[in-house]
Amino acid sequence: MNAVSDPAPATRRGGELIVDNVSHHFASGPRRVDVLQDVSFTIPPGAVACVVGPSGCGKSTLLNLSAGLAGPAAGELRWDGDPVRLGQNRDVGMAFQQPGLFPWMTVERNVAVGLRTRGHDKRDAARITAEFLETVGLTEFKDAYPTQLSGGMAQRVGIARALALQPRLLLLDEPFAAVDAFTRLKLQQEFKSLLKLSAPTVMFVTHDVPEAISLGDFIVVMSHRPASVVRIIEINREDRDRSSAAYAHKLSETLECLGVTSDMDAATDD
Amino acid sequence: MTSKEAEALGKTTRPRTGSRHPLQRIGLPLVGVVLLIATWEVTVWLNDLDSIVMPRPMEVLRALGDLVVSGEFWDDVVVSLTEFGSGYVIGVFAGVVVGVLMAEFSVFRATVHPVVEALRFIVPFAWIPLVILWFGTSLLGKTLLVAYATFFVMVVSAAKAMQQVDPTLTKVGRMLGMSRWRLAFAVQLRAAAPTIASSARAAAAIAWIAVVAAEYVGASAGLGVLIINASTSLQTDVVIAGMVVIGLVGAGVSAVIGWLSRSYLSYV
Repeated sequence: MNAVSDPAPATRRGGELIVDNVSHHFASGPRRVDVLQDVSFTIPPGAVACVVGPSGCGKSTLLNLSAGLAGPAAGELRWDGDPVRLGQNRDVGMAFQQPGLFPWMTVERNVAVGLRTRGHDKRDAARITAEFLETVGLTEFKDAYPTQLSGGMAQRVGIARALALQPRLLLLDEPFAAVDAFTRLKLQQEFKSLLKLSAPTVMFVTHDVPEAISLGDFIVVMSHRPASVVRIIEINREDRDRSSAAYAHKLSETLECLGVTSDMDAATDD
Repeated sequence: MTSKEAEALGKTTRPRTGSRHPLQRIGLPLVGVVLLIATWEVTVWLNDLDSIVMPRPMEVLRALGDLVVSGEFWDDVVVSLTEFGSGYVIGVFAGVVVGVLMAEFSVFRATVHPVVEALRFIVPFAWIPLVILWFGTSLLGKTLLVAYATFFVMVVSAAKAMQQVDPTLTKVGRMLGMSRWRLAFAVQLRAAAPTIASSARAAAAIAWIAVVAAEYVGASAGLGVLIINASTSLQTDVVIAGMVVIGLVGAGVSAVIGWLSRSYLSYV
């Protein structure tokens, strides 16, 4: 027990995630709905990939496949060189689109339960939980139940639960979508400084292109369902300054790939 | 703290049972009961009814008082509650087990579903002739009948409650690395528990009705027997007193189950 209860080193570095020609489909009654088609990209160790694409294009499916919650119909995902297996992956921490908090547990226990499941002892789990509740600013809500939280606060608990696992592969499904604009900016900053502390490999699904530019090392732009990769856009440091021409350029490039124009007047001009 | 957070904190101190004044909390139900008794009294008085047809509330109260001090009455209550309790516990337990298995294993569900669907519409009362034929007026027969009545309510509702568990919770459990059994019990069944408990409360009413109905038809003791015996000797006040006891005991059982589920399963 001691071996696992040692505080996880803050520098658990991420590994390499390779998405290799992955296709996936669901059965919808007798019909087959293709969601992913020949998706390929690689996230280098410690890099942040932001995945953007139209609603329902299969971004969440991509996360589920990466976490090993489902197996792809075709193609392969590789984590640290090995194929991603179905089932338990101790390297993964994931925050879902819905907070998915256990309603019968307090905020504190909701975060700690993952650490306990992964083998941390009670004291250790409590310490790490306190640390990450502090990070998301919910320390004084540790004894509250999920039904007593606003949507944004519940989402932050879900994020804290994923971060507290100190995962080497962090998968986030629109984690800040339900959070108000101000808290969102704050969380984005917190998130960045956390990434500097430990450097997990991150796949971050978002609808918000500015968010993708400010957080990602690169953006994976996906098409409509069945989704394939439209383009991979590298983000450099200078692109993140929202007042710069470089930022505006990346923004319009991304939006263009998504089939939206950033010039709102263009549609009404002709 | 943002205003939303302050509001959320405020919610933690909200009392569970509304914010009515205690006088209203006790007074309003009392008004309902008084109205019922008044209507009864007035009906008897207006129609000048004979006490064999419809006794006055005071006569029933007196009959009730006589019953309470007689030892036999308590024996009847104990017999009925024993039949209820044993059958109910068996029915709830078996129903939840089968319901959970149906939700977890599709092969099991496909096999058991048609049987459940066929049997659950054969109401317990339809079984009474056979139960008496097979088990006579024994405790076993009543117990099985109550278990039967409870079982089908619980199977259907437990399976449904399990299937309605938020799929994100299951995904979270798997992501955290929980084993299949831990996931089934500590997450899915736990998440379904409040819904299952409220069905169990509804099933208690059905089970209690089944007990009394079975006693009407064939039994040697119990509240149903008490009523039947009183009616054959035209003691209408005792009949109604027995009915009142059936109602009170049923409401008491339901309140206990509600209290248990609030104490152990509720989230706040």
